[in-house]
Amino acid sequence: MTPATTDLAEARRIAPHALQRSWPERLTRTLGLGLLAAGFVAMCINVGFTPAAFGNGLAKLGEFLAVMFPPTANGGEARILAALGATFAMAVAGTALAVVAAIPLGLIGAKTVVRQPLLHFLIRRSFDVLRGIPALVWALMLIVAFGLGPFGGVIALAFSDLPRLAKLYAEALENAEPGPQEGIRAAGGGPVAAIRFGLLPQVLPVMSSQSLYVLEANFRNAAILGIVGAGGIGFELEERIRIFAFDQVAWIVIAYVICVMLLDMVSERIRSRLISG
Amino acid sequence: MAADADTALIARFEATRRAVLLRQRAGNALVLIGLSALLGVSFHLSDFFNGNHGGDPLTRIADLINLLVPTLKADVLMDGPRTAGSLASWYYDGPRWLALLWETVQIAIVSTVLGAIGGSLAALLASKNLSPVPALHWLTRRSLEIVRTLPDLIVALILVAAFGIGPLPGVIAIALGSSASLGKLFSEANENIDPRPLEAIKASGGGWWAQMRFGLLPQVLPTYASYALLRLEINVGAAAALGVVGAGGIGIELSRAITYTQFDTYLAILLMIVVLIFAIDMISERLRHRLIGLERPA
Repeated sequence: MTPATTDLAEARRIAPHALQRSWPERLTRTLGLGLLAAGFVAMCINVGFTPAAFGNGLAKLGEFLAVMFPPTANGGEARILAALGATFAMAVAGTALAVVAAIPLGLIGAKTVVRQPLLHFLIRRSFDVLRGIPALVWALMLIVAFGLGPFGGVIALAFSDLPRLAKLYAEALENAEPGPQEGIRAAGGGPVAAIRFGLLPQVLPVMSSQSLYVLEANFRNAAILGIVGAGGIGFELEERIRIFAFDQVAWIVIAYVICVMLLDMVSERIRSRLISG
Repeated sequence: MAADADTALIARFEATRRAVLLRQRAGNALVLIGLSALLGVSFHLSDFFNGNHGGDPLTRIADLINLLVPTLKADVLMDGPRTAGSLASWYYDGPRWLALLWETVQIAIVSTVLGAIGGSLAALLASKNLSPVPALHWLTRRSLEIVRTLPDLIVALILVAAFGIGPLPGVIAIALGSSASLGKLFSEANENIDPRPLEAIKASGGGWWAQMRFGLLPQVLPTYASYALLRLEINVGAAAALGVVGAGGIGIELSRAITYTQFDTYLAILLMIVVLIFAIDMISERLRHRLIGLERPA
């Protein structure tokens, strides 16, 4: 009836591999996929990701979720908001320190400043290596050095941002057009004038917008640092999770999420204004 | 006469220019004042100048570095773990740390795979061009945003209370965060596809599943894979930190070393983590370049 079936049969006869892969190829593909799947399942079992364990925990998580409603601050609104403020302050201070320290590092990381290829490669690679260390790992040792409190947290945030910002700044500097600076030099301007009027107007908006990105990320990181003793909202959260006060946990999480979204919104508006001029 | 008109014009121009400059400068001054106030308050709240940090911060950092660096002796460097000053005594628990590092890698891989699966499902709902119900598209986007605002360590902290100490809560926490961020990236990839293959499959009688499998997937798979690999790089770092809250992996040894003030051990483990992250970054970079069909730049 349908011409399609005869057409297909004809097509198969003429070009057998166009519609279906050859047997060895299919076999290796199936084997490869099977091996990958087996490896994944083995890893799942190693990390305890089994249906039984998952089900047990899920049941308990359900109990927690049931306790979460209605969320309540239990009279601690002022304290929680102050902790949110402290966390934000930590993020701002950490970002500010990182920005100040990242400018010289960004300069030596830029291909246009350090022209020796091997040296450039080594500097940028060391940024990459340091970038991988999470803020929490910095904080763990810095808080022992400086004692409990936000100071160690600020330094930890600055340390973990430094390589990231330095890399971004270096890229911004590399991407700057040399034209304006050359123009100013040709018109008789000195090196300071060339940097002030030729380079800064190009890189400052980009660098500020990247710094704002880092501030957003730091607000999230700063919330974590409370767990290891830097105070702020992370400390309040951990305290309440330990005593299973999940209605208060829910209140804090909601307040925190609102703050993060507000910050992201404000920062995005500033960034779009910076970029559009 | 003409000269008068010119001077008037110039005077008007000068006046406008002055006004514009004044307004700009006032705006800049306002921004500067606001920024300095914000910085001042932030540093003050962070106990930056007023707190007691046990002395000058720079000497404290120097002390810390002193504590971190192990006392190695050149003549006994290759001796057994019992000899103080040998490499083996510095890495006295090396095999255990390696096993925990492997656990960290497994946490990262499993959670990235789960996150990629969750993310691609969420992306189907969150893409404007594929979502069957517009309300669902909006709802999925917002929920992904909310999940993205939560740091995975906070989620892990709650999950450790539910699932008990071990790698499982860490896997779930990172998988949740990954599926939220991958869901967003994947949905953006979905929205940038060429719609014609899907239309062709639809026109030749293919259902929704056939459209996704043969129209969408071949177009987005390389992008998906390269985003997932990037996420894997981030997740290895995250998984290394998770142990601090009891969610498995090498982090538990980090916090143990700190608790017992074994700073040289801390540095030993930290170096292992750094090497691991570096290796994963290199492998992932290779794979990603191959995916995009680029040769590694020499």
